[in-house]
Amino acid sequence: MVRAYSQEHTYKHPWERVTAASWRKFADPENKRTLSHILEVDTLNHKLDPSSGKLYTTRAITIHAPGPWFVRKIIGQDICHCVESTVVNAQSRSMQLATRNISLQKFIEVEEKIRYEPHPANPIDWTICKQETSIRIKPLSTLASMAEKIEQRCVDRFQQNSAKGREVMERICKYLEAESRGISLRS
Amino acid sequence: MGIMREKKSPSSSATSPCAHLRTAYHNCFNRWYAEKFLKGEWNKQECVSEWEKYRECLSQHLDDKHLSRFLEAEGIIDFTNQAEYKNPTGVSN
Repeated sequence: MVRAYSQEHTYKHPWERVTAASWRKFADPENKRTLSHILEVDTLNHKLDPSSGKLYTTRAITIHAPGPWFVRKIIGQDICHCVESTVVNAQSRSMQLATRNISLQKFIEVEEKIRYEPHPANPIDWTICKQETSIRIKPLSTLASMAEKIEQRCVDRFQQNSAKGREVMERICKYLEAESRGISLRS
Repeated sequence: MGIMREKKSPSSSATSPCAHLRTAYHNCFNRWYAEKFLKGEWNKQECVSEWEKYRECLSQHLDDKHLSRFLEAEGIIDFTNQAEYKNPTGVSN
């Protein structure tokens, strides 16, 4: 049982601004209320390849994911740890993020891939975001009979949260745009 | 993050003691990313001292057993000696 879905979104902001916003998405305190399911984001590792202009980053993301009471009872916790790997290629202007859960793997596997690239129709000023999510409930898990329902709940929740994520991204982009205008006005 | 949530899920605040070091590192990183990295100055990684202080704090407080065991097994993190970066999710570029 695998549910997969993909989404596309166009940001009417240049790639540089959108990727800068992506780094700030979970870190800015003012977004905490909107993205209240994100409890902690910690950078675990980073590496810069100076010859190719690629930046590799690994972060741990702790998510608050309360489910129905019987799920909490079986799983024994309502937080979930995820690992997010990011590769930014400054030369080709691409950013790829892949996130997967590391807790509760016995029951469920969620993988989310996001790519930010210059929009083909307007590569200088716009950015296209392609997002792919797959959710898989383990068939042999004790939750098998309820799995179908839970899977749908997960999909719903992911879609709600990615809509919130886009909202936050748009807000940070606007903020960065205003900031860059302010700087250029002063200079 | 409210007090209520911290009470509900205590391990969520495991790395909170490092919050101010994390903020210092993020601020430095965001500046470096926008002003240097995106403008082609990718020959040198900056924010080294901010990163080392934050990492040192993390190594003391990342006490969620499941998380740290997993990270060590995957080679993502090794606080005893600087581990090579290993990509756990297969993003390639």
